[in-house]
Amino acid sequence: MPIELVKEKYSTPINTVEIGLGAQTVKIGGESTLPFLFDEGSMPNAPIVAPEILDCEPTEWSESLKGPFGDSMKDPVRWASKCVKDFNAKILCVRLQSTHPDYGGKNADHVIPIVNAIAKSAGVPLIIIGGGDDERDNDVLPKVSQALKGENCLFGIATQNNYKTLAATCLADGHSIIAESPIDINIAKQVNILISDMGFDPARIVMHPTTTSLGYGMEYVYSIMERGRLAAFIGDKMLAMPFVLFVGSEVWKTKESKESGAAQGINWEVATAVSMLQAGADLLVMRHPDAARTITKYIEIAMDRGGNK
Amino acid sequence: MKEFSVKFILPDGFLIFKRPVIKTATVAKGTDLLTAATKAGVILNATCGGDGLCGKCKVVVNKKTVPACETLVESDLEVRVPKGSLEVRIKSSLSAEEFTKGIVLKRENAYKHSPMVRKIYLKLPELTANDNASDLDRLYRELAGKIDGVHISAKFASVKFLSGTLRDSDFQVTVTLGLKDGHFEIISVEPGDTTKASYGFAFDIGTTTVAGQLVDLNTREILGTRIAFNKQAAYGSDVITRIIFASVPEGLEKAHKAVVSNMNEMIGDLIKAYKVNLADVYAIACAGNMTMMHLLLKVDPSAIRKPPYLPATTAFPTIHSSEVEIEANPKGLISFLPGVSTYVGGDIVAGILACGIFETDELSLLIDIGTNGELVLGNKEWMIGAAASAGPAFEGSGLSCGMKAVKGAVQKVRIDEDLSVHCDVIGNGKPSGVCGSGYIDLLCQMLKRGIIDKSGKINKDTKSGRIRLGETRPEFVVAFKSESGAGKDVVINEDDIENIKRSKGAIYSAVIALLAKVEKDIKDVKKIYIAGGFGNYLNIENAICIGLLPDVERGRYEFVGNSSLAGARMSLLSTEALEKTGDIAKNITYIDLSAEPAYMDEYIASLFFPHTNLWRFPSVR
Repeated sequence: MPIELVKEKYSTPINTVEIGLGAQTVKIGGESTLPFLFDEGSMPNAPIVAPEILDCEPTEWSESLKGPFGDSMKDPVRWASKCVKDFNAKILCVRLQSTHPDYGGKNADHVIPIVNAIAKSAGVPLIIIGGGDDERDNDVLPKVSQALKGENCLFGIATQNNYKTLAATCLADGHSIIAESPIDINIAKQVNILISDMGFDPARIVMHPTTTSLGYGMEYVYSIMERGRLAAFIGDKMLAMPFVLFVGSEVWKTKESKESGAAQGINWEVATAVSMLQAGADLLVMRHPDAARTITKYIEIAMDRGGNK
Repeated sequence: MKEFSVKFILPDGFLIFKRPVIKTATVAKGTDLLTAATKAGVILNATCGGDGLCGKCKVVVNKKTVPACETLVESDLEVRVPKGSLEVRIKSSLSAEEFTKGIVLKRENAYKHSPMVRKIYLKLPELTANDNASDLDRLYRELAGKIDGVHISAKFASVKFLSGTLRDSDFQVTVTLGLKDGHFEIISVEPGDTTKASYGFAFDIGTTTVAGQLVDLNTREILGTRIAFNKQAAYGSDVITRIIFASVPEGLEKAHKAVVSNMNEMIGDLIKAYKVNLADVYAIACAGNMTMMHLLLKVDPSAIRKPPYLPATTAFPTIHSSEVEIEANPKGLISFLPGVSTYVGGDIVAGILACGIFETDELSLLIDIGTNGELVLGNKEWMIGAAASAGPAFEGSGLSCGMKAVKGAVQKVRIDEDLSVHCDVIGNGKPSGVCGSGYIDLLCQMLKRGIIDKSGKINKDTKSGRIRLGETRPEFVVAFKSESGAGKDVVINEDDIENIKRSKGAIYSAVIALLAKVEKDIKDVKKIYIAGGFGNYLNIENAICIGLLPDVERGRYEFVGNSSLAGARMSLLSTEALEKTGDIAKNITYIDLSAEPAYMDEYIASLFFPHTNLWRFPSVR
């Protein structure tokens, strides 16, 4: 007897967020099904990998992670170009680490020329992430946002306690925004509401549900993402945002990735990224080129299997 | 053992004849300063009960500010007490103010007027040679026709001098009968007709607030009401800290004395104000949560906080007032309204009695907003109850400018577009602080004017002199020093808002979780009674606006004020009502929300104004 598969059909798709301009534009989101279940709905935009680079030479990256980039890492502009030319990046994530007080506390005057040069030479859409110090971010990010006005970048990271400055500046300069919450579906929604209340178009918000690495409570992130998705599909507009996951930075700070050679670290990043894709990730920010290449291939196969190309 | 002398120098405000007040205690080496201060009669703020957590008991020793509870006496000391560290609550109870006679409920006289203590004037037939019944039997014989079918007994004290009293009064006496252990007891026999003078007290013993009411048992008239902060607050602001404090005999003794003194002050104050003779106060009915009943009766409460969390009893027997040093007629009776479980006490049973949920066909809900928010859902067929730890914010406690609903408290607020603030102050004077209903209005108005966002953060970019950075947190000025009666600015800061947000979230999420438990929707609830110590007024619209109450048709709501006090009063005035409380307590099934997995999730979703799921509040814009 043939088995009839139970199929779920959902009413509301996830928002589609466009990053970048013209032919280079990257679209994320838009799915109307849980990942890769093409019998239930469609995924018009394949999930995508964004390599992560810093605006200064990394001091804490392990040798196995630095290896593939060679001395290009001494210059963020060259590093960016290498990602695009050698590793085929379609979108780039630049973390403004140098602005953090622990890494030099550089100000906007230092960062803007670097970001501008990257934008010009790399020629792909940009994700710009602050150094992670609220006070410094609120000072630097508005100026960088203004410098990139009209470039349709994705800026981050807005949190429940620090969202106003970034949301206001992204609104003024025409960028999309990343809204972060601490593995909590309610807070995720609250941040989205708070940002929307400022007049920000909810369809220009990308959610960061917090990333954790394999072995560090990843299951919690997985279930929160899944719950968020299911709520969005049945009509909760304040959760209908694509997900971004910072897999690279999380994986490469674990001791498992740093010890026992490069292969283990790469595999760790791949395993984490695959899990996040299966949970609903739309944009993966990754570090090791080999891991990124594997995941890009994985996405290709998963998308192809559904005949959804 | 080595002993040292510790001198406490009180702040300037306490100058007497321009000389600072110094209080001294002699204590053993190693005693902490909090204990030493208490010994010296200086009551310091210590909401954590001396656990070293709240940081409120700061004192200055050798020019260094230290927490008193963590500083041990190792030598003779001079300790300066800053103003902020003095326990202000103790003081406030001395000036407890009448706020009105309270809200009179529709069901006030739903039960037959039959006070738990009643006086009957008897003219006994003359003694004759062929009637050899004893004096007491003769009393019984006369009473038989006057008390319907209940067994009567006599307290020994009323028999001891019976013969003399009868003969001295020419066999015309007033017999006072009290309902105790299911039958009437003769508690006193007085010469002549004293039936006119018969008074009782109803008490609501809350964790944060104590309310007492003087009632004329003959006319059912409420003569006066007093409210005050529970003096036990000096030993911890929440139930758990108090239980820990009272788990040792000395702590239990202190906690007991504190609440007894609360009650005695109210009794003393009210009988003086209404010229009532203390000896004519025969009956007291008390409603309160389980822990408060244990502490009042000096019963060890420690089992309440240890699994499986059991009280000594949920229904304490009626006692004579002399047994707990309550200052009333020592032969008088004190009854305690029975509770349901450890966390749903007699105060809620009293509330159910007052609202009448247990006698209606339609599904009703009682929400009692106190330090513990308690709810009961049901009708005459069934009832379920739950408790939620809401904190005392709506009672005006734990907030920077919070106060009880007494004279000087802001009870209504309106904020105009230009951010000017209009306050309605109890007693029409200058505002000294804000009470529960005032905070609800204030938050709703701040949301509407964009002063705070939906997470409760103050919008620092708003152009207004009223928005500023306080000591550590942004704050909004409700009344400037010049307009205020407190001698300082009346403000609300982000911590206060956070506090209120947690309180309202705990209440709302408990309502939703309780409904979910019986697979009901809030729309199925036809009547919602709101009880609590907000004052005499609660703007339902604004309470919905901040997400404290569900967004349903406003006509379904009824604000019943202190329903615990109302239920105690009804029990005082009607034995029928008092008997009902036993049935009510038995018919409520207790639901432990902390064991419900969905509750925590609901709670987090409620920590937003009005709620993370905005569709739950369609009428809030």
